[in-house]
Amino acid sequence: MCVGLSAKVVRVNGGSAIVDASGARREVSSRLLTDLVPGDYVMVHAGAAIAKISGNEEKEANSLMEELL
Amino acid sequence: MDLKGKTVTLAHGAGGKQTAELIGQVFKAHFANPYFTADDAATLPQPDGRIAMTTDGFIVSPRFFRGGNIGKLSICGTVNDLACMGAKPLYLTCAFVIEEGFPMDQLEEIVCAMEKTAKEAGVVIVAGDTKVAGKGQVDGVFITTTGVGQIMDGVHTSGSLAKKGDTVLVTGDIGRHGCCILLERDEFGIEAEVSSDCAPLWNSVEAVLREVPDVHVIRDATRGGVGTVLYEIAGESNVGFLLDQEAIPIDLAVSGVTGLLGLDPLYLACEGTLVMIVPQEKTRQVLQILHTQEHSRHAAVIGTVTDTEPGRVVMRTAFGTQTYLPQPGNELLPRIC
Amino acid sequence: MTDQVEKSSEQSAIEKARGIISSYRGPKIRIMEVCGTHTHEIFRQGIRSLLPEDIELISGPGCPVCVTPVSFIDEAVFLALEKGCTILTFGDLVRVPGSLLSLQTARGKGGRIQVVYSPLDAEVYAREHPEEQVVFLSVGFETTTPSSCIALEQAIDDNLDNFSLLCANKTMPAAYRALMNTTDAYLYPGHVCAISGLGDCRDMLALGMSGVVAGFTPAELLTALAVIVKKTQEGKPFLVNCYPRVVTEEGSPEARALVEKYMEPCDTRWRGIGVMEHSGLQLRDAYAAYDARKKYDLPKIEGKEARGCRCGEVLQGRIKPKDCPLFGKGCSPEHPVGACMVSSEGACSAFYLYQR
Repeated sequence: MCVGLSAKVVRVNGGSAIVDASGARREVSSRLLTDLVPGDYVMVHAGAAIAKISGNEEKEANSLMEELL
Repeated sequence: MDLKGKTVTLAHGAGGKQTAELIGQVFKAHFANPYFTADDAATLPQPDGRIAMTTDGFIVSPRFFRGGNIGKLSICGTVNDLACMGAKPLYLTCAFVIEEGFPMDQLEEIVCAMEKTAKEAGVVIVAGDTKVAGKGQVDGVFITTTGVGQIMDGVHTSGSLAKKGDTVLVTGDIGRHGCCILLERDEFGIEAEVSSDCAPLWNSVEAVLREVPDVHVIRDATRGGVGTVLYEIAGESNVGFLLDQEAIPIDLAVSGVTGLLGLDPLYLACEGTLVMIVPQEKTRQVLQILHTQEHSRHAAVIGTVTDTEPGRVVMRTAFGTQTYLPQPGNELLPRIC
Repeated sequence: MTDQVEKSSEQSAIEKARGIISSYRGPKIRIMEVCGTHTHEIFRQGIRSLLPEDIELISGPGCPVCVTPVSFIDEAVFLALEKGCTILTFGDLVRVPGSLLSLQTARGKGGRIQVVYSPLDAEVYAREHPEEQVVFLSVGFETTTPSSCIALEQAIDDNLDNFSLLCANKTMPAAYRALMNTTDAYLYPGHVCAISGLGDCRDMLALGMSGVVAGFTPAELLTALAVIVKKTQEGKPFLVNCYPRVVTEEGSPEARALVEKYMEPCDTRWRGIGVMEHSGLQLRDAYAAYDARKKYDLPKIEGKEARGCRCGEVLQGRIKPKDCPLFGKGCSPEHPVGACMVSSEGACSAFYLYQR
């Protein structure tokens, strides 16, 4: 249900964007993220890009653990 | 003979002149070989030793897909079933149920694919049957193939023979046929370059068995995929499996599609990928042989047979934890083979 | 080369997090993963096997399929069979048992039921099938609701008169408050927070409830759990955003404004838990023409939940799935009785598939 996948924006046309998740492409609504440009990474859920992804997972995990220890 | 624009009619199935034309122009033209018969049954030389025999029906929708069509599939399915028993495919029969109005050129394309695939697998089509059903009674064309093969000397494979310590291999990357069909149906608006793995695997199997006749289990991971097959074998052999998640070969685009849809590639059908279970000490040899064959170049070791949890398939994740592979269940998958 | 460096440092972050979690000894820490996707991923990644005895994970109510009441399925079946509507739905709802029929069995009786990936696909379907009356089953939490509203907005733009929503959308804050006494810390769902921002979590912090916002990969889940373990030992209520690359303080004001435009809060029933005030969303009166309940004058349907099913207690973390008398006996993913067994993200289904 709540499958959310990170995907790369390939193209933006008006209210929609073509995103690519490891070679699987789909048109999704970009209604919630009006400033998307190709190359952005987004979370996709139920046919809509719901959030931009800034930075990467590894760095995030590292900085969290560094703060903690 | 130009078949363009012509369609199959009920008269083609009535047994008269038009039936003879259909057989002559389409089937005989492609299946011709010394055994192919117009008589009521083919008469064939008797093979030495034990034979294996199997049958399978094919109703895939769509009929044409990236990497094959229902014709190619109908040969691969039966050839691969024979191969799993260590049997060299010798003879095949095929029965067509065709919907009235089916385009003749499509039928020929399907039959062409059957001819080509049978040739590759070294099997001859010796008899056939054609029925034409009224519009709407079948979906396009259904094909049933039956095959007879000669089991190689000294080979004895069975789903009940997996033993603790054995190695589990797959002959290629998994889930591609199921993923391809899912995409072809275009129900979810997803596009990806995924073609079916549909392929006849006798050459790969023969190459392995000639050097390593004591392979314990070979099974084709068709309906239900590799996950379902492993659970079947776990039950039949009363063993468990420990799989290495990272070692399972999955095409990147397949993982993208399944990621978007929340599906597990281990439960997507393969039509050109077998699971092999071999004695541990033969692992490297088998893998090397598989890598020399066209349709098993991406073969990989994915796990081992255990006796700790009989009946279960355990996954070792990328970061070292262990979890069960869920039992095959009620996935919402469309009809794919 | 850089890839390898990052890979190895990721390993070490995971290793560190793992160490913190596995070596914990002390007062019991109860952590509720509110979200069904967390439940599922935690099982799928085998993370439970890392937990020492003193850390307990409780699978909460955050699977929209699981908390959708029986009566909602009955309404959808009624629309399909009595009103001849075409029902478009997320795949997860198809097998959920209603009082008498599931959508799957309704399909067997001639109902038109289609699975879609997105509410927007339902809108496209309606546009392409003007002769059919199309109803989309709008379920889901903060993450999913905006998609339904985008579809509605599109339908209005396209002047569709054959598209409507049957809404059972829900919001998390009421559940956060209702369940805060059952657990020591929440693992907040990252995708819900991507929309709602951190405000709801801060409100909970003000009530003394701890939590961390977590993503869904093994690294994200393990670091989030490690943060909970460490912070709990400090003894003060805490809120840490462990998913800042996706979740920001303000979330998505665009998404919230969109939902606000078309929907308003309502009291709603959560399967197994009961009615919670302001925990649901319904279409505003101005959009009554797109509200399937109003459009088709749906009668009030009182759903009958299966007897003996203890989904409600499972959803609230009061019992473990295997404590339910039906678990594995008459209730399995193939033949689900209760909602927690239907969705692959339901607690019972996850336990059944991964731990039994």
